[in-house]
Amino acid sequence: MRRVLLLLCTVAAGVLLWPGAAQAHPLGNFSVNQLGALALHPDRVAVAYVADLAELPTLQSQPSCTAVAAAFHVTVDGRAVGWTVDREVFTYSDGAAGLRTSRLECDLSGPADLSAEATVDVANDFAADRIGWRELTATADGVHLVDPPLPASSRSDGLRSYPDDLLSSPPSVRSATLRVAPGGSTTGAAAPPSSSALPGVLPASVLPGWAGRAELTLRGWVAQRELTPWVGLLAVGLALALGAAHAALPGHGKTVMAAYLAGRQGRPRDALTVGATVTLTHTGGVLLLGLLLTTAAGLAGETVLGWLGVTSGVLVAAIGVSMLLSRRAAGHDHTHGGGEHPYDHSPDHSHDHSDSHDHSHGHGSRDHGHGAGRPSRLAVVGMGIAGGLVPSPSALVVLLGAVALGRTWFGVLLVLAYGFGMAATLTAAGLLLIKVRDRWPARLRLSARLTRLAPTGTAALVLLVGSALAVRSLITL
Amino acid sequence: MRVRIVLGVVLAAALLLGVGALAGRPSGGPPAAAPAAPDRPQATSRLAVTIAAHQERLRTVPGDWTAWAALGEAYLEQARATADPAYYPKAEGALRRSLEVRPDGNAAALAGLGALANARHDFAAAKTLAEQALAVNAWSDTAYGVLADAETQLGHPGAATAAVQRMLDLRPGLASYTRGSYDLEQHGRRTEAVALMRLALAGATEPADVAFCHQHLGSLAWAAGDLATAGRHVTLGLAADPAAVGLWQLKAKLDTAAGDLTAALADLDRVVARTPTVDALLDQARLLQVAGRDPGPSLELARAAHRLFTANGGTDDLGAAALALAAGDAATAARLAVAEWDRRQFGEVADMVAWTLLAAGDPAAALPFARHANALGQVDATLAYHYGMVAHAAGDRGTARLQLRLALALNPKFSPVDAPIAARTLATLES
Repeated sequence: MRRVLLLLCTVAAGVLLWPGAAQAHPLGNFSVNQLGALALHPDRVAVAYVADLAELPTLQSQPSCTAVAAAFHVTVDGRAVGWTVDREVFTYSDGAAGLRTSRLECDLSGPADLSAEATVDVANDFAADRIGWRELTATADGVHLVDPPLPASSRSDGLRSYPDDLLSSPPSVRSATLRVAPGGSTTGAAAPPSSSALPGVLPASVLPGWAGRAELTLRGWVAQRELTPWVGLLAVGLALALGAAHAALPGHGKTVMAAYLAGRQGRPRDALTVGATVTLTHTGGVLLLGLLLTTAAGLAGETVLGWLGVTSGVLVAAIGVSMLLSRRAAGHDHTHGGGEHPYDHSPDHSHDHSDSHDHSHGHGSRDHGHGAGRPSRLAVVGMGIAGGLVPSPSALVVLLGAVALGRTWFGVLLVLAYGFGMAATLTAAGLLLIKVRDRWPARLRLSARLTRLAPTGTAALVLLVGSALAVRSLITL
Repeated sequence: MRVRIVLGVVLAAALLLGVGALAGRPSGGPPAAAPAAPDRPQATSRLAVTIAAHQERLRTVPGDWTAWAALGEAYLEQARATADPAYYPKAEGALRRSLEVRPDGNAAALAGLGALANARHDFAAAKTLAEQALAVNAWSDTAYGVLADAETQLGHPGAATAAVQRMLDLRPGLASYTRGSYDLEQHGRRTEAVALMRLALAGATEPADVAFCHQHLGSLAWAAGDLATAGRHVTLGLAADPAAVGLWQLKAKLDTAAGDLTAALADLDRVVARTPTVDALLDQARLLQVAGRDPGPSLELARAAHRLFTANGGTDDLGAAALALAAGDAATAARLAVAEWDRRQFGEVADMVAWTLLAAGDPAAALPFARHANALGQVDATLAYHYGMVAHAAGDRGTARLQLRLALALNPKFSPVDAPIAARTLATLES
């Protein structure tokens, strides 16, 4: 008997089954490759099982679904699920050296009570000794998977094409423990970190151009395995910028808000109030929506966003109506009192505005008693709510991604940064308009008639834009 | 007032960014995101951890050629430890990538590709690659290891010993101790071989490495007929790594020697179920024959395994010769063995040429090959049995008596088929 070279014997063993040539099995001629795709339902567990056998295992034995069912163990709260084989398909295909490879497909199902909270243990002990690619996936229908440790879809397209990525080892997933909660919606979350966790929300980048790339970068950072302080800092900075960019997109009633602040004697403080309200509303809205989407079944993210758009538009329109109404009252006042409008005062006041904030403040408090010309606190807050009500889808995606990775608090922080970014844009727009308003009438000396008409015009504009926003959102629904 | 607002905004921004940085602190970080990597094999061993670390590093720094070379080496190591051939193409890809990034002065990648060539039985190419690596870095212990393996297999024992010695000088450790031990064993210096392998075992931490050392020690004990020691090493090795196929093969020999054919067949079933190699399948076929069962399916599978190796571009006439011999076609077996001899003049090949020529009825031609196979002085029962039988057929009664006595003295149960033949032949020689 020949003496085997000790040092090389195991290496040579591998070489004999070298997966080099084009038609050879990509994972070597020894391999038995397996995929168990679990689908959890409230009343049963189903497994779509596939085995891909390379040339030599195909010659050695022909596996059956009965054998698979005996070795594929699933327990629900410790009780084993008994399998029924619903479908069994065994096929051959051509392999290397005139040999054949084979493929076994089994659909197994068994009753299980998953309507309440439950722990599902999965262990695939079929051909446990064999070398090969071993995948497990899990999806849920009508129940909810809590932080599933398994992906929702196969990496190898159901053992049809094995990725030849140099930087990943063949998976060897033999067992897993799943937690199931009632309610459900996810068809299996915690997919690859780069894509959205929820089907309802737009999975790819939701923003065009550089903002889209920035958003993908941000999601990449959130998904990073180990966060560093530097990455955390950059992520917040990027979230701020994305929030600001989101507010710069049309549909947040910026024009309306600016017009309102300009038409009514808005002060910088009002602009700040709007900013604060926007931040609060946006953050709260995104968090609430995120909570809704992760817990409630069958809720599509886009529909919710549409309805929020409608609400926002209606709110703006309502403010427009209230402005018109108060304008009528103010107009009445005007005819009686005469010259109450600040622009009818001496130019000093305008001069004060542009010069020093203190003066302008004094002017404001002095004028407070006049009432009608100033924007009401309620309307300003309403403006802010309208601006913040339509959540940035990208903030939502980032939040859900963070939640799926178990980094809820980081996600909340980023959403807060989004809100601040939006507030910054909107406040800046408001402040700019106030500035412009304060400077222009003083210099250009608009005719008194036009100035008198302006508030009515802005009220009409607010109403118009609000209605347009509502209608546009309604159409997309 | 305005200053205060600006100050407030700046403060708020700083606070927010600060909290962001705080959230990113590794220790205060969230539970290490297990769902992010559900498809990676669990990092149970140091090797798996090393592989994962290199993969992670190269995802962020794809231009790190040393990391690519290290990853390629780790994949090779993984292929050897788990006998999983899926890692070979990965190893080759990683090593070639390293060489792409840095074509000049890349000794690590060249040595890695040399190890790969050895694994493919392309020993001449392995030697060339090892020499190229040494031209770049004359202190590369891994390159000397590759060179030692290649020279051994090419039948240049002097060059092999020199390379092993250089490797031992450069880096005493598991890899050089095992090679040194093997080299000593080939020269018949069994005691020193055992001592060096014990040294290797003392330094081994990985389960696969521990099993590997026990397998060597067990084989050394088996070759000398020390079945108790061999059995102890098998038990210890399998306790460290129950998936070590080499140990199961050795256990099958021990079980056969103890007369427990059922257990021996079960051992080989395990081996063949995991890694159906030509070698293991031939062992199984032989044992089935001894047990009076049909060896046909095993032989057919062995032929298929060999066909796959050839279809994938490998050349292994030694394996083909063993297959032909098992099938009873001695003439073809001899032709194939001689073809392998023309490529490399290694002792193991010489032994196969001698044994097949004897089976083909040409003991006179076989005798010089048998002599060459034993030239270094390796002490092994099967080797001595082959030499004795060839000498007997060629009419050299003195050598035949000596070698057959040696074989039976070393290990009276070295083979269930051959040991009784040896005893009978010796009896006729001595009568």
